[in-house]
Amino acid sequence: MQVIPSEERAAHEELQPIHHEPKSFFFKYLWSLDHKMIGRQFLWAGLGFLLVGGLLAMMIRWQWAFPGKPVPVLGSIFLRSQGGAIGPATYMTIFTMHGLIMIFFAITPVLIGAFGNFLLPLQIGARDMAFPWLNALSFWTFALSLVFVILSLFGELGAAGAGWTTYPPLSTNVGTPGSGQTWMVAAVFVTGVSTIMGGINYVTTVIRHRAPGMTWMRLPLATWGLWLTAILNVLFVPVLGSAALLLLLDRLFGTQFFIAGATASVSGGGDPILFQHLFWIFGHPEVYILILPAWGIVSDLLSFFSRKPANWYRGTVYAMIAVCVLSAMVYGHHMFLTGFTPLLGQSFMLLTLIISVPAELLFLNWLRTVWQGSIRLTTPMLFSLGMLFVFGMGGLTGLYLGATATDIYLHDTMFVVGHFHLTMAAASFVASLAAIYFWFPKMFGRRMNETLGKVHFWITLVCLVTVFSGQLLAGYSGQSRRLYDPYQYTFLKHLLGVNRVASYAAFLLLFAQFIFIYNFIRSLIAGEKAESNPWQVSTLEWFTASPPPYHNYDRIPTVLRGPHEFADPEVRRRLGRDFIGQAEELPEAMPPAVASAG
Amino acid sequence: MIGAEAMSVIRYRPRGAREQATAWIGMVIFLGSWAMMFAALFFSYGMLRARLPVWPPPGTPPLPRLLPGINTLIIGLSSVAMQRGLSAARRAQAAAVLPAIAAGFLLGLAFLSLQFVLWTGLWRAGLRPEGGAYPSVFYGLTAIHAIHVAVGLGGLGWLLTRAFFHAFGPARNLGLRLWTGYWHFVGAVWLLMYLTVFLI
Repeated sequence: MQVIPSEERAAHEELQPIHHEPKSFFFKYLWSLDHKMIGRQFLWAGLGFLLVGGLLAMMIRWQWAFPGKPVPVLGSIFLRSQGGAIGPATYMTIFTMHGLIMIFFAITPVLIGAFGNFLLPLQIGARDMAFPWLNALSFWTFALSLVFVILSLFGELGAAGAGWTTYPPLSTNVGTPGSGQTWMVAAVFVTGVSTIMGGINYVTTVIRHRAPGMTWMRLPLATWGLWLTAILNVLFVPVLGSAALLLLLDRLFGTQFFIAGATASVSGGGDPILFQHLFWIFGHPEVYILILPAWGIVSDLLSFFSRKPANWYRGTVYAMIAVCVLSAMVYGHHMFLTGFTPLLGQSFMLLTLIISVPAELLFLNWLRTVWQGSIRLTTPMLFSLGMLFVFGMGGLTGLYLGATATDIYLHDTMFVVGHFHLTMAAASFVASLAAIYFWFPKMFGRRMNETLGKVHFWITLVCLVTVFSGQLLAGYSGQSRRLYDPYQYTFLKHLLGVNRVASYAAFLLLFAQFIFIYNFIRSLIAGEKAESNPWQVSTLEWFTASPPPYHNYDRIPTVLRGPHEFADPEVRRRLGRDFIGQAEELPEAMPPAVASAG
Repeated sequence: MIGAEAMSVIRYRPRGAREQATAWIGMVIFLGSWAMMFAALFFSYGMLRARLPVWPPPGTPPLPRLLPGINTLIIGLSSVAMQRGLSAARRAQAAAVLPAIAAGFLLGLAFLSLQFVLWTGLWRAGLRPEGGAYPSVFYGLTAIHAIHVAVGLGGLGWLLTRAFFHAFGPARNLGLRLWTGYWHFVGAVWLLMYLTVFLI
């Protein structure tokens, strides 16, 4: 066992002194510098907008099941001028806002904003982020972008309506005039700035503030996932930022970066395809930005609830790093139909398919972690296993879209929609729920109801799979995405049944989320009080109080071992339990109290 | 194998130094991130230019080279001044810090003013943003860069007031160091912009 010099411990204590907890409402709840409070702020904001995005999804599903019929409840509130029904232009704004809100203002804040903030300092044994002030600024910049989203929803000529990808020329003034689109592009830029601030903080914090003994290969896998995500964010969100800036210049100041053809001036316009390059140089890493935290969290949870160390921890870390590197080199597979040379298309296809190698490695590690474990089917474990299932479906359908031969047929069909919903909406969402159920006791000091959680899980999983399988089927049969009324086409008429079944499943999915909301709020108020380590796991955050004090740790822990210390016979002999904390010293012999109890 | 004492001497510097190193790492990560933003802008320029058969398109006024060339020198000198201010602070020559920062600030101001002259001149010559890709690249890239210069000038102005009260010394120069780093970054981006947008 290596010895940590006491100077190092002293240096960490000195670098991160204990600050007094602020007492005023403003500094405690609004401009809080505490990463745990900022994490909770992100969680509330993200969950709120998750509901908004979910309601928008319900309106899309209604339109596909009952095209042109008045929408119950929502229609009478928001669409009164159209008699409660969704018109074609409104339909455009609904799917656009659904996509943008879900990606940038729901999943990103919940997975990265909330759990990144809450977990990173705790899991590495730090008292706070490296730059607490920047962290608070990051949240309030995000809040500003939410104001822009709301302004967009009530913009003249409706909200943004150029699709979540915001492709020009549709997204320029030529295609979508009106302030709604402008506000939304500005919102994406501002939320990008917020993400970069957060990313700088996360990357620096993990480099500088790891507790003594917390080597890179002892970091919990959730921390690895979040840290790699932060690196991708810092590198690639700026590219989206510059695309948004140029689009704003086009919309507000009359430049012509993305306007071409008849709408451009004679002296040579810009290039709409340029936007696609910029968008996907960012966009493909973004796919992994949304799934890497989920991978990390699930890797940890599978080990915790199988009561076994994660299988080949280093392999999982290397695979995640490999995915990060590869993710920067595959963006062209979104653009096979833009007139690439076939050579470029084939190169992108090859690189894309190579990603399945590290992805398979992760999968095998997860399966081998669960294999022969003493599985505890708690709610977080169910959601982790569910994530494996939906992510497996999403990954396998991705192969068809990565290969040019099949993508040319499937491009822009509902198959694509089904595929990326299975990865981003199903896998990331299910992993977020796993994380919420798992860390709820640490965040709020109370436990959630397990029975309601399991009911929530089964309805959610079955419905998610039904909804998105329906999309895969419809797409494979030729239904293009973003169609206002697919049944105008004779060859799609017979798909009404499939789409209706998927829509009913979607409505049931929404219903299941109300079980979650009820459980969440009830547990916040009246849940059973949580002890410090209710799940009996070994990472650092479970060895401080629930919820942790303002300064996280009275003494900065000295880390002695990796994050998944389960089923060690020596630990069982000396401590009488199947796990030992990362910073817990192993006593020389079994204490007499435990010996007599055993 | 080195003993614990020796290790502590090598690895553990006083607290101020450790915090400063953390802040510096954060600044480097930020600049790396922002470099990607500018890289995307240069990528856009390259792609738009590659698409057009003639650059600049016929009938558009060519961009001047002399004025932005002088401006490149000015922002370069400004960077040098800031660096001298920083090394003066490190050598505890408090009297030399203030004039260096003042020079850096004034040269930065001169840069922005000359940019303004450049824009108005070309505007009067008939180059408008709505004139296609060529003026879009010129106005878009220089304007986005100028916003960064303006932010830097804000920082330099803040340093100036602090230097007036002799705030910088060998151990206390973090703000100066971070803003000087940012200022070098903005200067380097301008150099690249001058080479690509104006010269070639």
